[in-house]
Amino acid sequence: MRTDEELMELYRKGSRDAFEELFARYHGKVIHFAYRMTGDQARAEEAAQETFLRIARAAFTWQPKAKFSTWMYTVARRTTLNFLRDEKEEGDKVPIPPGEEAGDGSPALQLRGPNALNPEEMAWSSEIQERFVEALQRLPESCRAAFILNRGDGLSYEEVATVLGITSQAVKSRIFRAREMLMESLSGLLP
Amino acid sequence: MECRDLKELISASIDGEASRAETRRIEEHLEGCAECRALERKMRAIGTGVAMTEGVVPSDFREKLFARMEAEDLLPRRRSLFVFSIRWAAVPLAAAAALALFLLTSPEKGKDVVIPQGQLPSVAQRQPVAAARVAGELTPEEREIIAYLDVLEDPSSLDTPGDVDEMEIFAPTGRRQG
Repeated sequence: MRTDEELMELYRKGSRDAFEELFARYHGKVIHFAYRMTGDQARAEEAAQETFLRIARAAFTWQPKAKFSTWMYTVARRTTLNFLRDEKEEGDKVPIPPGEEAGDGSPALQLRGPNALNPEEMAWSSEIQERFVEALQRLPESCRAAFILNRGDGLSYEEVATVLGITSQAVKSRIFRAREMLMESLSGLLP
Repeated sequence: MECRDLKELISASIDGEASRAETRRIEEHLEGCAECRALERKMRAIGTGVAMTEGVVPSDFREKLFARMEAEDLLPRRRSLFVFSIRWAAVPLAAAAALALFLLTSPEKGKDVVIPQGQLPSVAQRQPVAAARVAGELTPEEREIIAYLDVLEDPSSLDTPGDVDEMEIFAPTGRRQG
């Protein structure tokens, strides 16, 4: 099987198959990443499309200094941030319902059944997913991106550090902070 | 070590980023601390929840993206079937042309070929090669075969300039840089 970097090189030389293979490997990951970052399906799709377009446009100038996937997530994160920034400037940001803030007395969703205490077998529903996505949106972007890249996409601290342009130690702190804030806002959901 | 000093390390340990010594220290602490065990369970649950949070991959996502890429000339186009078939038709075409050349230049030209009965298909028996030709002239079919020879002598003339791999059936196009 060809590596991502080999496929990029072939695409640069004019292979359509190479791009199709890269697309097949990563389009789901990019859409999920954009969804976790924006909390909105339509925006996630737009951001993911734009990410692949940027990758294709930059193919001629791309240098395989880092792993392709690391570079791809760097592009995906910047693209997603641009979408969020544009929304903010247009006043189109998805509002967070005031009752969702932690400690406001709003009813917490409870996990159902005996699996509630086992995080690996959590009863999952669209309602719970919605709560998770909303809680993610309340995190500072730097913490959110670090946590999503690590837990959602499986990047190591070192790879996350490359994507965010910070040290591995800073990644460790941001992920811990993200966990603390999420545990607070999702306390009703947790075992 | 106090619980509060270990929290960040527990988080790193869940992510597989703690050293062996740190992991051992955490395990020892967790054995005797119910509060940190509960914390560790919550931290794991948070990570699992994020991993399970996924967007939907629309069925037309690929189609939309590739249409946009083609509009920007970012996606190499597939080579036409005609060019592909001409390439693979070259071998039998070359054999036919060689046979025609042999017949046209043979010292036996103009003479009927004596074929023992039963050794050739019936069509050849009914139409001897020399009988189909006007003496000293080429038939239109023969002229067409000779025209093909020019192409076959230089197979590279079938290629599109800029091809990467002879066996690859895609023809790259110029691309905008960005």
